[in-house]
Amino acid sequence: MSTKIKDTNSVGSKIFKAITYVILILFALLAILPILWLIMSSFKTSQEYQLDRLGLPKGIFYKNYIEAWKRGNFGVYIINSVVYTSITTIAICILGMMSGFAFAKIPNKATKGIYASYVVGILMTLQSIMIPLFIIINQVKLYDTKLGVLIPYIGIGLPMGVYLCTEFIRSVPNALVESARIDGAPYGRIFFGIIVPMSAPVATTLAILTVSGTWNEFMLINMLTSSTKNKSLPVGIQSFAGSLSTDYGKLFASLTIGLLPMLIFYLVFRKEITKGVAAGAVKG
Amino acid sequence: MKKLAMVVLSLVLLCSMVFAQAAAEANSGKTTIRVLNYIDMSEPNSANEIAQIWDKFSAEHPEIEVIREDLFNEPFHQKVEAYAAQGNLPDVMYAWPSGRSETLHKDGYLYNLKSLLERDGLDKVYSATSMADQAGKVGYVGELPNGLTATSMMFVNTKVLRENGLEMPKTYADLVAMVPVLNAKGIEVVSMDCKDAWVMQSCLFSLITGRFGGADWADRVFAGETDFADEWFVKSLTAVDNLYKDGVINRNTLSIGYGSGRGDFANGKSAFYIDGDWACASFQTDVTTGQALFAPEAQKTDIELINFPAFDGEVIHESNSAVVGTGWAIAADIDADKLEAAWTLVKFLESEYAQTWRLTTGASFPSLTTIDVAKVCEEYNLEPLVAKRSDWYNNIQVATPVIDGVLPAAVFEVINTVLQEIGLGSTTVEKGVADVNAAWHAYIGK
Repeated sequence: MSTKIKDTNSVGSKIFKAITYVILILFALLAILPILWLIMSSFKTSQEYQLDRLGLPKGIFYKNYIEAWKRGNFGVYIINSVVYTSITTIAICILGMMSGFAFAKIPNKATKGIYASYVVGILMTLQSIMIPLFIIINQVKLYDTKLGVLIPYIGIGLPMGVYLCTEFIRSVPNALVESARIDGAPYGRIFFGIIVPMSAPVATTLAILTVSGTWNEFMLINMLTSSTKNKSLPVGIQSFAGSLSTDYGKLFASLTIGLLPMLIFYLVFRKEITKGVAAGAVKG
Repeated sequence: MKKLAMVVLSLVLLCSMVFAQAAAEANSGKTTIRVLNYIDMSEPNSANEIAQIWDKFSAEHPEIEVIREDLFNEPFHQKVEAYAAQGNLPDVMYAWPSGRSETLHKDGYLYNLKSLLERDGLDKVYSATSMADQAGKVGYVGELPNGLTATSMMFVNTKVLRENGLEMPKTYADLVAMVPVLNAKGIEVVSMDCKDAWVMQSCLFSLITGRFGGADWADRVFAGETDFADEWFVKSLTAVDNLYKDGVINRNTLSIGYGSGRGDFANGKSAFYIDGDWACASFQTDVTTGQALFAPEAQKTDIELINFPAFDGEVIHESNSAVVGTGWAIAADIDADKLEAAWTLVKFLESEYAQTWRLTTGASFPSLTTIDVAKVCEEYNLEPLVAKRSDWYNNIQVATPVIDGVLPAAVFEVINTVLQEIGLGSTTVEKGVADVNAAWHAYIGK
């Protein structure tokens, strides 16, 4: 059986490569240009923006950032956002994998019913549970506390986490778990020794979904808190977009501030994210 | 692994800092009141509200401790609904005279301020229109309003008119005559930001229904003396249809987001711009940037405020649609020992000091008759647009109802849709009239 080696220097191949690059550059521009436009507009005054939306700024009006930071309470909100996002993400990933392991590898008669009750949570809209949630949180005296925000965040994110982890862990061969059991390993050891390392791709996918969802969450944080010390970044950002007017300069500055931590997160973990998404795509 | 360990350690440190709670303050014997404040920081010049209003109140009234929650936009309304559902409304809250605060008025969640106003002799100090009955209840003042909101202000770019040899329009026909002159130069005659369905209804159609239906059209509708199939409403919808067909308002305005057209108007891309009186402040100087869409010098010569010109066949002239403004309310179930403290705060929020401050920022026009606007303009060296705004109010001969202020949502939402369909040219006046009338009869049938 003969194998043909592809000639990567052929004219056809070069044209194909060029077209691929053009398309990729176009997509990259589509992603980057709005961010550049946002950053550029954040240095315009609101009036300058309204009079010339696409033009370059006449000067660097950096006061937008100072005003946005001060009036938007960003010093407090960023720390709160980091806390809410990190704790929620860690909790959902750990609890999701634990539940997924139990549902996928240690089934019993109740598994189907309990699993279904988790998955139904994915279909629930935030609006439908908002007022009951508000009343419950008040009754258990957790209103306007960080714990009163974290518990609903984790609870609302968990159904998706359990679903993704369960379906992923199902694909792990049963033979691996059974062999470990025969060798005398307890479930805890199997979970940490086999399941967790093998579930890294789904954990990464879940972490990305949870980080972006929690970082941008706006409705619940307003509902479950009242004081500045417990609110998070989206509240500060949205405060510059009113119903009857918008302070564009400060809105763009606050959006840029809000974007930075996510960009830093991506830059720090870009290898892990890329690996996780790619592995998830193959295995999942 | 090292990187992950560092991140986890940093997070643990951060969390321990954030969750560390300060010791509870000892009760100092103050009267504590909870307040739900509506603060729209997107408004130019709203920046100093906390210092100018709230901090000043605390300084003047150390015996009252205010626990304030600042919200805005949808989250504000969602929170009010949640508090109401829980039966735990704040002691003092910002409220609308109807519309978004309908539940509060209808279900008796708000204290009737009328008795307190009369007790303190304040009912005569605020303008009669701002003391009008609210939510259709006789002798009921659920919220003490900032003033009266006129919902149809017509801004004129007089520079555009001058440069094109045009005069200030007196009639609708004058506007129609401007269409070929201005359009030939790529300038729109009247611009509005009609993407949101409420804009046409609130900022122009309410004025039009008043012109054709008279100041009492809503009373007559509720009394069963007329309905939406009658001539006044047909003429009103026809007027809107004509605005688009005559090219006075471009159908493209239906794709312009609310507030986006102000810059184009200031740039001379349209000769007129229609919005509520609240939009006036956005043309004034923004204290945080020191810039304005119309600089103070340009405000003297390049911008005027007028009422929409006369329609052929209108039954009242120089009218404008107006509604009692937003203001401050007290929860009906407030503890008796907190009532006086809450009332002290509400009075302060609508005091001469607070209303004068709001006048200087352009936020709202005073409802207190004791405030001499001309004197304030001179004293504070306010921008020309503030004085023009004052004159504009004085020129309104009749105030007519605002549709979403008097009709139920089940009806005004149909009107909003019909107005957008007429704008798009996808329905006829006859069909629109039938739809609105059907919605009205369905509502009263219930």
